[in-house]
Order: sequence, then C-alpha cells, then structure tokens
Amino acid sequence: MARRTRTTKNLAQRIDRDYFKRVFPIAQWRRLLTIIFTAAGLSWLAWHAMASNPAVYSSGPIKSSHAVFGQNCTACHSSKTAFSAKVTDQSCQSCHDGPIHQAQQFYTPACSSCHVEHSGETSLARVNDGGCTECHGDLKTKSGTLRVAASIKSFNSGHPEFAAVRPGQHDSTSIKFNHQVHLKKDLRGPRGSNVQMQCADCHQPEGVKRAMPYGEPDPSGPQPVQASFSPHVSTRAYMAPVNFMEHCSACHPLGFDQRFKDAVPHKKPEMVREAVFKKFTAYIALHPDEIHVVTLDQRIPRRPPLPPPHNAAEWVAQMMGEAEQLLWGKTCKECHRLLYVAAAKVPQVPKAAINARWMKNARFDHQAHRLVNCDSCHAKASGSKDASDILLPGIETCQECHRAGKTNTAEARCFECHDYHDWSKEKPVNGTLSIHQLISSRK
Amino acid sequence: MRIDETHRPWLIASLAIFGISLAMYLPYAMTAPSGPKGGSFLGLIYGIAGYGFMLFAGLLGARKKVPVWRIGRAKTWMRGHLWLGLLSFPMILFHGGFAWRGPLTAVLMALLFIVVLSGIVGAVLQHYLPGMMTRRVPLETIYEEIPHVRQQLRDEAENLVTSVFGTMDRGSAAATAAVDPMVAVVSLIEIEQEEKEHFRELYISTMRPFFANPEAPGAELQEPQRSAEIFASLRRMLPSSVHSVLTDLESICEEERQLNRQIRLYRWLHGWLLVHVPLSILLLVLGGVHAVMALRY
Repeated sequence: MARRTRTTKNLAQRIDRDYFKRVFPIAQWRRLLTIIFTAAGLSWLAWHAMASNPAVYSSGPIKSSHAVFGQNCTACHSSKTAFSAKVTDQSCQSCHDGPIHQAQQFYTPACSSCHVEHSGETSLARVNDGGCTECHGDLKTKSGTLRVAASIKSFNSGHPEFAAVRPGQHDSTSIKFNHQVHLKKDLRGPRGSNVQMQCADCHQPEGVKRAMPYGEPDPSGPQPVQASFSPHVSTRAYMAPVNFMEHCSACHPLGFDQRFKDAVPHKKPEMVREAVFKKFTAYIALHPDEIHVVTLDQRIPRRPPLPPPHNAAEWVAQMMGEAEQLLWGKTCKECHRLLYVAAAKVPQVPKAAINARWMKNARFDHQAHRLVNCDSCHAKASGSKDASDILLPGIETCQECHRAGKTNTAEARCFECHDYHDWSKEKPVNGTLSIHQLISSRK
Repeated sequence: MRIDETHRPWLIASLAIFGISLAMYLPYAMTAPSGPKGGSFLGLIYGIAGYGFMLFAGLLGARKKVPVWRIGRAKTWMRGHLWLGLLSFPMILFHGGFAWRGPLTAVLMALLFIVVLSGIVGAVLQHYLPGMMTRRVPLETIYEEIPHVRQQLRDEAENLVTSVFGTMDRGSAAATAAVDPMVAVVSLIEIEQEEKEHFRELYISTMRPFFANPEAPGAELQEPQRSAEIFASLRRMLPSSVHSVLTDLESICEEERQLNRQIRLYRWLHGWLLVHVPLSILLLVLGGVHAVMALRY
C-alpha cells in the first residue's frame, strides 16, 4: 500500500508563501510586450510628428487631382484656431471658385459635404445622389416658385421626362427637312447611282471631318460655324449642326443656269442675286451673239415666251428673271421658308436656327454611346417627315441602361448628366503657391 | 469564465444594442450624401460608443489591481468585458463605415480585429479548458507553485530511494546518514547487490533526469504507458517488500506528468493574453490619439 497521502497538512506544507513576490514568465512577457507595443506605437506617431508629417492621421488617400500637394496637409487643412485644422470652403475656393448653384436655394452646403476627399473615389465630381436629393427630394425655394420638379429621389424615381420631348414641344428651326425621304432605300445619288444614306452621313461630332461618301461638296462654300460648348464637355460629345456645304451640296447643288457649272453661293439672297447678276453680265460680254438666242431652262415650268431682248442689259434682265424664278421658286424653297416683303427685290430667309444642344441643363456624350446604333435611341427619325419633329429619345430609353441603385448597369447618379456648378461663371483664380512650395511639400 | 445561462441578460442586451445600432446604420449609410463617415453625427456616436465599450473592457485589468474596492463584482466586470468588448467591434465598423481609410485608422482597425479575435479565442479557451483541467489534472496545484512543488517531489523521490537502496551516487558512502527517519525502517530490508545496481542504473538514467526536468522532450516517464511498463518490470525484479516504495515513486511520476499537463493547459489558457492584453493597451492609446486628431482635422 502506498504511503504517499495528500492530506491538507501535506498540501499546506508544500505552499511557498512567497511565490506571489516573484514574476512568472507569462505575466513577465505580458508586461514586457505591453511596454514594447505601446512604445512602438507612440514612437511611430512621434516619428511622423518630428518629420512634420501629419499624413499618418489622414482618413484615406487623396485624389490624384490633389496628389500634387503630397503630404502638405496645410494646403487644405489651414488652421483657423489653435486646435482645429478642418478644411473650410475658403480653402477649396482658393482654387475652385465656382458660382452658387441657384440664387433661390435655401442653403448652400459646404464643399466637403458633397466632395469627399480621402475616400479613394477617382473623381471628386462623382458625388453621391444624396448631395442633390437632400434638396431636390423635397425642393423648396426662397421665392416659393419652382422651375423644376419638386421631388426627385433619383434618375429612376421622380425624375421628370426630358423637357425637350414633353408633349407640345417641337423643333423651331425654319429649315424644311424630311428624314423619312432621306433614309429611304435607293435614293438617287449625285453620281447617278442609288444610295442608302446613313445617320452619320450628316450627323457627325464636332471637329470630325468625314467626307460625304456620295459626292463632292462645293469647295467654294463658306466654312461651317463651329458650335461652342462648355470646356467641361468633350469636343465629341455633341453632334455638330448639319451644314449645307458639307452635308447637302453634293446632292443638292445650287445651279441656276445651264451655261454655268458654278453654283450660287449658299449665302443671303441679296448676295446670291448679286453673284448671279455678275455671272450673266460677264457672260454676255464675252458672248454678245447669244443676245438673240432664246433658251429655256427645262426645270422651270412652261410659260409664254418672253419677247426677244434688244441688247445685253435686256438679256441679263431676262436671264436674271429666269434664274431667280428657279432659285426662289424651287431651289431655295426646297429647304427654306422664304418670306416675301413688298418692294423687296429678293425674299427674306429666316435663320435656320438649328438647335445644337437640346438639353440645356444636362450633359450628353455621343462619344460615350458610340457602341449603340442611332436607331436604338432615335427610333422616330426614320419615320419623321417634318423638321419640327423632335427626334430625341425620352427618359425611358435612357433608363433602360441607366438604372439608379442597381448593380451592373450604367451610371445613373445625378452627376452623370448634371453640373451643380455653372462653370461658365467661374471666377478667375490667382495662384498663391510657387513651384518650389509644391515640390517641397512632396519631400 | 464559463459562458452559461447567467450570461443571458448580457447576451440579450448586447443583441438589442447591436440591433438598434444596425437599424440606425442601414438607412444612414444608404442615404448619407457622401456615404457613412466617422465625422458625421451618427458616425461620432458610434465612435464614442465603441471607444467607451473598449475603455470599459480595458478597465478590467485595472479592476483586478484593486480587488477589495466596492465597485461591482468581479464576475460582473468580466461579463461586461466580454460582451461590451465584443460589441465595440460592430460599433467601430459602423463608425468607420467598414473602411480602413488612412494609416492610423487602418492600424486601429487591424488592432481591433486582432484584439477581438484573440478575445473570442480566449473566451472559448476559458470556457472549455478549466473543465478539462479538472478532469485531466486531479493533482492540480497553483501554477506559480509548480517549480516549488517539483523541488519537493524531487527531494521526496530521492529520500525514498536512498532509504531503501542507499545512496544513488557512486562512491558516496555517507549519503545514508541523511535519510528521513520516517522511511529509515525500510532500509533494513535486504536487497541483492545486483538488483540494487540494476535499480541504481535505472534511477540515474531514467528517473532522476525526469524529476530534474519533467518537460524535457523524449523522457520515457512522460508516457503513462511506458512508465507503467518500467515500474512493472521493477516490481518483477525487486522483492515485494520494496513495492510500496516503487508505488510511491510511480505516484510521484504521475504527479509530475499531471503538472506537465497543467503547464500545457495553463499556457493555452493564458498564452492568448500575450496578444490580447498588449494590443488592447496599444489600441486604447492609439484610439485616444485618433479621437483627438480626428477632431482637429
């Protein structure tokens, strides 16, 4: 039988009463590691403090557009009090002095409430809808009157139909144009063969020079006037207005008499008349025998023959009458609505007034949509017979791809189409930093 | 601490706080103009609540330093440490909008993650290991006493052996003079010299090194099966009159093995604190710095 027993006395005798005075390994390591880790953490902060580099307290990487400031936090975090170094609107406006959004708005949010730096987003302009719907979700104005919808929650919730395509809207251009005719098959081309016109034959972005595939435009015509857009808009975002010389003249030459290959200039009627007069005067001076030769233009409807001219002036007057009847009565009238004023020698042609940009308060980029065929959005174009038809797609067409709050769809946040700031009214900014200051901030 | 039904009120309260916080966070995160931010009103509320919970959890260490103060029961503090410490994790995630952001905040989030994870591991270990300790280490002693107890076991074994077999050190004739009087009677038993020599060899080569360093890897007596075989062979070899001494020696070996087991379990039971405590202190210190600097910028 074993003699070892675990009596209370035995166990009590085994106790070393001073054991608690000694430090055992786990507790010792715990204290040591606590001191080491805490010291390391504080040293890390102290090292940054000694290097005057407060970037360690940054709440995230800054945008690439601000990366030039490097770690010079005070470029934006300018101290206003002994403790606070928050970014103020003045800091932003020292470089980006954008105008107020609307004079009637109830309050102006701070720049940083919409444009969140240190958040890793690629662009500060890509703000969340909340910044807009904070007001537009339940819009109130100082005057109490609203020019836009009162409650817009997102592009898919509360956003009204585009103003341009609402009922009753029409294109106010004075030009007469029939899309249906121009898009029909086997249209007679300038070289005699039949052609099938495409949208892009006439509708091309600004700055894109694409030769008309069916014939040569009149090189003597005036250069088209470039539409001017905001510098914040891509040069290829919008279709340039259709231009007669580039897009029409190959098929619709402005000939006025069979004796001349030249066409009249596509200018004001007074200038057209003067050009025609000069042509006939010069011609008869070189061909005096033709005074007594009567030739009738087959394009002009039959009418009683005029008495034979007695001299060059009468011949020119007769030819002018023939040519003007052709021009004002058929050629120009094909596209223009002519106004006749009593006692005026020539009719008046109202300005074409071709609208280059339909959505005045929104942006659109054709270049970004180049993968989509024209018919997908402008479905009404092939059936349109009148230039007063507005062929823009409605909001439902856009919403097929741009769905707010959904994943795997096109961007549908407000900034995609709308600008909060009217940058055309941006105030000039005088820089305050030198290159040396910028470079030194990166060290 | 076992996580049993006594934790139910804490569990319910924690789930309620978490549920309310989540219910407030979701609409806030979805409607905030520029997304959830720590500097927003609700973001600050989450930050203050999260840091407050962490501070309370951290004060458990201070509470242990003053056990006699009447500032609540230690159990209550421990439950608060567990549940509020755990609750600080979602609070801080809500505060930061689930983003790591800058260098200091990223470090803080990493620290918080490690501290909470190590805390959960520790809570699981503290829940299961004490029961395992009771079952597998019936001879458990105070951990800090183990070196002292082991010294006593070594002395006890040496005395037992010397009393029966004489001195174990070759050439030392005077060793028997120091024999414990309680076991001196056994020394009267006559044992063949050859058997003595055999036992001496075994004691010096196997038992004594084991008693000197029971945790040394490869020791035969660390294995209960091998230990039983060794003592069974000794019993067959030695006269039955010394079997009681062998039983005592075997008991000492068993106690040494249990102390080994206790040490291993103790290291599991407290080793995680080497991560949890230092990083918790660092988290609290850097969290305080973050709070001040975030208010500045």
